[in-house]
Amino acid sequence: MTTLTHAPPSAARLRRLLPASAVQAVTWLVVVVGVLLPIVPLLYASVQDRPIYEAGGVFTVSPYRQLFADPAFWQTVRNTLEFATIATGLSVALGGAAAVACSRTDILGRRVWTKLLLLPILLPPLGVILGWNALYGPGGYATNFITRTLHIPLNLTSVIGMSALGTVVAMPVAFLICQASLANVESSLEDAARSVGARPLRVLSRVIVPMMRPALLNSALLIFTLCIESLGIALILGAPAGNEFVASYLYNTWSNASTIDPGAVSAGAMILLLCAVGLLLLRRVLLGSEARFISVTGRGRGSDKLLELGRIWRPILGVVVALYLLITTFAPILALALQSSVSLLTPLEAPWHLWTAGNWRQLGQPVFMSSIRNSVEIAAVGAVLTTAVVALATTVAHRSTFKLRGSLQFIMMFPRSMPGIIVGIGFFWTFVLVNPPGSALRNSIWGIVLALSIRSLTLAYLVLYPALAAVSSSLDDAARSAGAGWWMTMRRVVLPILRPALLASFILLFVSILNDYDPALFLVTPGHEIMGVTMLDSLKQGSTGPAAALAMVQVAVTVVAIVIGTAVLGRRSRRTHA
Amino acid sequence: MPEIAVDALSMSFGTNQVLDNVSFTVHEREFLTLLGPSGCGKTTTLMSVAGFLRPDSGRISCGTQAFYDHAAKIYLAAEDRNLGIVFQSYAIWPHMTVFENVAFPLKVRKVKGEPRRRRVMETLGLVEMADYAARYPHELSGGQQQRVALARALVYSPSVLLLDEPFSNLDAKLRERARTWLMGLQRDLGLTTLFVTHDQDEALSLSDRIVVMNKGSILQVGPPEEIYRRPDHRFVAEFLGHCNIFTGHVTHVQDQLATVQLDTTQQRLTLPVGAGAPGDQIDVVVRPEAIILSEDLSQLSQGVNTYRAKVRSRAFLGDHYVYELELAGLPLTVTHPTAFSAAELTVHIPVEACRAMTNHTETTLI
Repeated sequence: MTTLTHAPPSAARLRRLLPASAVQAVTWLVVVVGVLLPIVPLLYASVQDRPIYEAGGVFTVSPYRQLFADPAFWQTVRNTLEFATIATGLSVALGGAAAVACSRTDILGRRVWTKLLLLPILLPPLGVILGWNALYGPGGYATNFITRTLHIPLNLTSVIGMSALGTVVAMPVAFLICQASLANVESSLEDAARSVGARPLRVLSRVIVPMMRPALLNSALLIFTLCIESLGIALILGAPAGNEFVASYLYNTWSNASTIDPGAVSAGAMILLLCAVGLLLLRRVLLGSEARFISVTGRGRGSDKLLELGRIWRPILGVVVALYLLITTFAPILALALQSSVSLLTPLEAPWHLWTAGNWRQLGQPVFMSSIRNSVEIAAVGAVLTTAVVALATTVAHRSTFKLRGSLQFIMMFPRSMPGIIVGIGFFWTFVLVNPPGSALRNSIWGIVLALSIRSLTLAYLVLYPALAAVSSSLDDAARSAGAGWWMTMRRVVLPILRPALLASFILLFVSILNDYDPALFLVTPGHEIMGVTMLDSLKQGSTGPAAALAMVQVAVTVVAIVIGTAVLGRRSRRTHA
Repeated sequence: MPEIAVDALSMSFGTNQVLDNVSFTVHEREFLTLLGPSGCGKTTTLMSVAGFLRPDSGRISCGTQAFYDHAAKIYLAAEDRNLGIVFQSYAIWPHMTVFENVAFPLKVRKVKGEPRRRRVMETLGLVEMADYAARYPHELSGGQQQRVALARALVYSPSVLLLDEPFSNLDAKLRERARTWLMGLQRDLGLTTLFVTHDQDEALSLSDRIVVMNKGSILQVGPPEEIYRRPDHRFVAEFLGHCNIFTGHVTHVQDQLATVQLDTTQQRLTLPVGAGAPGDQIDVVVRPEAIILSEDLSQLSQGVNTYRAKVRSRAFLGDHYVYELELAGLPLTVTHPTAFSAAELTVHIPVEACRAMTNHTETTLI
């Protein structure tokens, strides 16, 4: 071998100019400040005797006292807990059963259901709610048939009725978590039970279900957390009938107050936040830190052997799932489409007699056009920025020697348990207090970009962390030993390997930011509306047609993004990872 | 190529001492092996040399350059040590072709254009992988991946080559070929090499010298033959190859020979001794292949260390037989090329085949 004497890497000089630790410190700071930004002013506002933009405020707990003295508040607490309990119980039972059916049995249409059952979390929540309202709400298209002909007491505006919708929306979360945990269980365990003489049903109850217990617990806690912060369902369905949840009560108090006097609202938001944080900590204690990532590690070997249901049950269960999907997802979306194309959706008149393009034509109005444009822009920009920041933060948290890296792992899980209403109110106060650039942010789409990005941070982390964990750390050691510094190792080796995960994160964030709206309710300023906020506004004015048309636009953009995303991801996933 | 000197390295994770005062030197062009069971600290030592783990105290230097010096507060980052490493998993970057993998270290060193291409192809030629330059790692077999990993570690002429169990992912046949091939390459290039393995065959066949480690400490350092034939510790003897171990105490010493009364039997064993006192409790190690078997009972009276033993079982292993014998109640394993069918055999343990060491302690008696 000819000898070739290379000087020690000249990159060392560059590293001294831009030390890796500086990149790491900046990343850490951006994430930590971003997450804490909405919380600190909220906490401060909740213990002040007057709005914090007024001078001379003194410390007081009167906002809390005021809140607790309001009997309406306690009624909303009872409603919320009832809703959360019912929706959690039912959705975990349904999601767990569906996961077993789809990953462990040869149910008819298994592969199709596995994908379609996820639809409710991908579709815009407002669209689903409006669809349900159009179909099963008071005066809905199918309500009369169900209550009069079938004699099923259905009242979507009651807490029980809303719980049914909550169940449907939360079910995919339980389904995903249980499916992932089942994928990690070897089917040989079931084979072993079969070989000692257990019948399929017994295998199910004695082997499969006990093994799913951590996944069931995990999904129950997560869904309960999501339920107590639920805003849209109560806002659209329950509130008009007087059945409010904590979040909708706080929102209505906020927007109906004659003065901007949200001391009590801030206090209520703080209580919601404490509950959410408590549940997050409970999950950590009960499940250990690793369980947090269960929801996305579903990459097990698609179980090879399936329980045979037999000639009778195989089609019957298949039809049951098909009916479930039809009733809960497809029919409401169809009703939504119908509502957007008729002047009035009513069972008393055939829809083709009421056919109109008027609702769609109304979308041409500036406020609708600009909210569509804003939503897509915010989603695209937010998804790119958040993916980039979280990618960097994930490598700092898990692939660096940065001293405070451990705190990042916890902090990135945090926004997921932060109710949207808190992000909204919190950023509202932050923009008021930190000015500039507060009002500049508020008077552009950037304030909303920031709030929605922070809120979706956890989602990006949940996609990127397992992908990073699957990349053997010897790959970065190899780059380091070849002479590359931390930054170059990340840039040239680790992040390029993560490309499919980065793309998946972008698509998911795009969809999630596009369909998110609750923080924006508190932040929106004229000219900077997004679809969700505009939809709620036109609903408030009684124009359900245009709202339905706008919801259909949201559904369409979502579906297109998912289809493109899965197509691109499918083509990319050929290369196997070391 | 310079030598690597490791001096008084210590490290602990919490209360668990993983390295305890580890010192050794890899001489120029030498192939030195760290051998030991998993958890003995060999990989920790290698990764400390590589710069991926930071010991608590001690010193590591390469030639005149200090990599790590606890006293002088020197700690050179892994990327500044200019070492070549082949990882156990090979760690080939899956998103780069073979060529790009090997070219990466040169890119880092700002070698550009034609010189880079030439250098990469030259190194790939060296590991017989030039035809595969455009392939992606997942299109290669395990053995080919290993060669790419080696090419990537060699392409920038690193000062020292570090190998972390590079053969453990290969099947038995391929492993043997890769071993011969690596040995040839190492000798041809005159690479200073630090090698980590738990496989005694690998260590014995490849190394110039072996460092046997256990529980974070070095037990013995020496050439393969010396380590095998003259183990200083019971652990070393047991870890390298099979052995019979008898326990007993020295009854008397005469003419450089010690007589040992074996525990639980009336049998005595004579073995060479340099210094030793009657009454000392000792272990005697005898390799199975060093014991002589015979069906001829007349040899029984002749010479020392000759006994009768019952045959408990005999197993055929292709080129030899393994006998499980019972010698006055003590189990004895012997390997021998001849097939004996008698129920009792004459066993002769040559005096020079016995190696004595003090019972259950870390210091040698003889």
